[in-house]
Amino acid sequence: MLSMKNISKVFKTDLVETHALRDFNLEVSEGEFVAVTGPSGSGKTTFLNIAGLLEGFTHGDYFLDGINVSNLSDNKSAAVRNEKIGFIFQGFNLIPDLNLAENIEVPLRYRGFSAKERNRRVEQALEQVGLAARMKHLPTQLSGGQQQRVAIARALAGEPRFLLADEPTGNLDSLMARQVMELLENINQAGTTIIMVTHDPELARRAQRNIQIVDGQVCDFTMYQANAARSASHGSVDKLVANAQG
Amino acid sequence: MLHIKPIFSSLLHSKSGPLLLLLQIVLSVAIVANASFIIVERLSLMARESGIVENEVFDFSIYHFDKSTDLVVQDKRDLELLRAIPGVIDVAPSSMAPLSGGGWSSNFTLGPEERAKSTPNTGMYMSDEHFIDSLGLKLVEGRNFYPQEITTELLEDGGKMIVTKAFVDKVWPNDSALGKSVYMGAQHFVVIGVVERLQTAWVDNSNVEFSSVLSVNYPADYKRYLVRAKASDIARLKEVIPEILHKEYPSRVIEGFTTISERRIEAYRDHELMATVLTMMVVLLLLITSLGVTGMVMFNIQRRTKQIGTRRALGAKKRDIISYFLVENYLLCLLGGTLGVLLAIQLGQQLMSLYSLPMLALSYPLLTVVGLFVVTTLAVYLPARKAAKISPATATRTV
Ligand SMILES: Nc1ncnc2c1ncn2[C@@H]1O[C@H](COP(=O)(O)OP(=O)(O)OP(=O)(O)O)[C@@H](O)[C@H]1O
Ligand SMILES: [Mg+2]
Repeated sequence: MLSMKNISKVFKTDLVETHALRDFNLEVSEGEFVAVTGPSGSGKTTFLNIAGLLEGFTHGDYFLDGINVSNLSDNKSAAVRNEKIGFIFQGFNLIPDLNLAENIEVPLRYRGFSAKERNRRVEQALEQVGLAARMKHLPTQLSGGQQQRVAIARALAGEPRFLLADEPTGNLDSLMARQVMELLENINQAGTTIIMVTHDPELARRAQRNIQIVDGQVCDFTMYQANAARSASHGSVDKLVANAQG
Repeated sequence: MLHIKPIFSSLLHSKSGPLLLLLQIVLSVAIVANASFIIVERLSLMARESGIVENEVFDFSIYHFDKSTDLVVQDKRDLELLRAIPGVIDVAPSSMAPLSGGGWSSNFTLGPEERAKSTPNTGMYMSDEHFIDSLGLKLVEGRNFYPQEITTELLEDGGKMIVTKAFVDKVWPNDSALGKSVYMGAQHFVVIGVVERLQTAWVDNSNVEFSSVLSVNYPADYKRYLVRAKASDIARLKEVIPEILHKEYPSRVIEGFTTISERRIEAYRDHELMATVLTMMVVLLLLITSLGVTGMVMFNIQRRTKQIGTRRALGAKKRDIISYFLVENYLLCLLGGTLGVLLAIQLGQQLMSLYSLPMLALSYPLLTVVGLFVVTTLAVYLPARKAAKISPATATRTV
């Protein structure tokens, strides 16, 4: 479904070059729920942005649904984002001047759906996140958790193949965070592949697979754990985990 | 694809910014429409032809202060001298100079009786058979004066008259003018010719096209002459003519050499100034409005950086971002333009009654709105293209 081979990403500024990703390799299969953890500045958001075609990369190859999307034109990658990818942001990123229905409609309009189809999908998506009654409300009239559910509804309305979430619960208290997590789990159960960056180890543990990014490189934690168990050197694994989450 | 509804509801939710711009647009449309109307009015007044070969004709005056001079004889002698000067094509005496702002005019009547129907106020050129050629007029009907028809008496019954076509169309719209009589009191003139065009001395008067030429060359101590010459000869003739005329008869004043081209400039000076000032105002207003639009778009882009990034992340193409700002401002233009057209009509009516201007043609406010859309497109496009370059990654990178 998603396959990154030797991806590297260098940010160049006048003073320094930052290697945000180095020889980054990852395979994600259809239907997986992957939680991404790692220290601040390790490259999690960079990875997610590249995965979501929000930014390009310096070297390597990226296949999405079997198609090489490494060098898509700006218009093509916009279309791929629109059709295949749902985004959930830490700050919700709802448009403050638009009511909930209009917010959810935004990607549907770019898709060129008819008004009827848009309405159907908006209603369905709001139903899914339990906010059908508040269609005409403005984002500011909702709590943070509700806003994030609207953002999830917006991501779902396009029926994407996979969802990318960058710390979707980062701005929420633990109760709301759990609700959002449950929602994501339901969505995943229904077949959508999810990649979620989180700082919350408890939420990460609930995902099917954990990967860790350290210094711009993947540490596939589940695989690592298995290897570690075989080599029976538990101490070093614990130390690594402690560092990574520190 | 245009997404008007959400853009409109987003506009409704934003604060006073668009409202101020809207007000600016309304006022600009109203003012620009009326100003352009006045400009075009003035320019079309200025574009009217006088019927005269303006750059080849100049006038000057002779003032005799010696009361013993025989003016009739002297005039005859002067005309002979003038017509003999090399470079002079023709010369005619005249009671007034075209486009000069001063001279003779009259409301003729169409019968001798006091209550007879009268003509519009008509400019009166009194001259001789050289008048038509001296001014380069085009005779379209009838004939020129015969030399023997020229009288020296101002009020001699049965004189001959040449009138303009505009005068004929007004007074005898369905009839030939030739042989018709017009009256000044009990005394009458017979129309023998029609010229295509000849303006009076008063360009601001609506009767400017109604001129008559009378077969009268009356003696006067202050007498004006119209001289036709090649444009390149005029400067020289302005020197030569006073010399020759003074040599012939020293104790008199010869003055006021002015070409009809110069008289035109003088006559339309106010119009020209008005048109220039108003044009500057129109340009300035359009500039201010477009700056207002650009400023507003730039402000909105700054304010909506994250929103634009988010839209891009959700699948907006670059052109979707550009068209968002275009549509948003087109909506403002449409609303402001509509109100502006209404205000323009209102303003036009005020101006009409206050300054007796003609009624504002509806095409002016409508064309102004079209112009507004063009200006807005330019004013939006450049900053919007910058907005379209905002990276989709802004969605995840900004807080
Ligand atoms: N636009 C940029 N220009 C220069 N450097 C950048 C840019 N964006 C990110 N970086 C750098 O790239 C590295 C990876 O950043 P990234 O945002 O991916 O980290 P992260 O794992 O998401 O961190 P956090 O947990 O704090 O969100 C960091 O060192 C960061 O400073
Ligand atoms: Mg991050």
